[in-house]
Amino acid sequence: MFFHIVLERNMQLHPRHFGPHLRDKLVAKLMKDVEGTCSGRHGFVVAITGVDNIGKGRIRDGTGFVTFPVKYQCVVFRPFKGEVLEAVVTMVNKMGFFAEAGPVQIFVSNHLIPDDMEFQSGDVPNYTTSDGSVKIIKDSEVRLKIIGTRVDATEIFCIGTIKDDFLGVINDPGAAA
Amino acid sequence: MADDDYEADMGYGNDEPQEDPDIEEEMEDGEDKNNDDIPEALVEEGEEKVQQQSGEGTRKTSKYMTKYERARILGTRALQISMNAPVMVELEGETDPLETISIGDAHKIFTISSFYMFRRSTGMSTWLACMIAMKELQARKIPFTIRRYLPDGSYEDWGVDELIVEKA
Repeated sequence: MFFHIVLERNMQLHPRHFGPHLRDKLVAKLMKDVEGTCSGRHGFVVAITGVDNIGKGRIRDGTGFVTFPVKYQCVVFRPFKGEVLEAVVTMVNKMGFFAEAGPVQIFVSNHLIPDDMEFQSGDVPNYTTSDGSVKIIKDSEVRLKIIGTRVDATEIFCIGTIKDDFLGVINDPGAAA
Repeated sequence: MADDDYEADMGYGNDEPQEDPDIEEEMEDGEDKNNDDIPEALVEEGEEKVQQQSGEGTRKTSKYMTKYERARILGTRALQISMNAPVMVELEGETDPLETISIGDAHKIFTISSFYMFRRSTGMSTWLACMIAMKELQARKIPFTIRRYLPDGSYEDWGVDELIVEKA
């Protein structure tokens, strides 16, 4: 799920950036530092949409650097248990398959793949139904439900299932080929 | 003559009410909180419990800069200048004294041996950075605010441009 939230961060600025464009430099550095990172608490920071407030800087003793508290608005993405997502399959093996929904990696174990789908090894490992009508291979798009998340300080990893109503392949690149 | 000097100093205290809006910095006293780069709001900012007495009328500490404040400001500012911070005053051909001795009598304070010892990788000698910092202080262009903590934990903020600097 996506959220638009306000976060705060203390930014350290090198003395060479002082001067008329201090704020621009600070915002550029903020974007470079923060966008694309992941915190366990808020999720993945997708984009910074605005800077609310840059507080007064504090000089760090001994280094000459200055620390500015910056309040900024950003879009964050955080997966939740029970959430239904569309994801792209990145790897298929006999244990299950990995899929990516934006920045988050989701693993779907073969216990959570419908029983009528069998693993087929070979050049293009895949899961296929007995009648061959549905196939999960690399680059397939699947709709899955998150049943578990592991949240570290700097990483979020999810376990998903497609063993439920309305879940499974939504677009099969193999079929088109 | 002494009166003249005194008047000149007092005059300093009142002119230049405008502040540079782009650079506002504060000296922070003592405690190094090391909370930088903690991206989340986990950091407790509990230390700012005290109210600040701001405004000219309510401040009660001396309007003279202490020699300790002066030393710290000059040191910090010289460090920043040596790290390529933009200089807030016009330079008038200040150069390293090993090439030419060009300004003032302040060079007498420093000894030749220290010039080489503290030369930095930026190519600017500590001596030159100090000279520029002193010039900035005399011109009241150092973009710092001094936060004076009082024994009860409260503090007063004084801009460097407000304080009267006495000749060292």
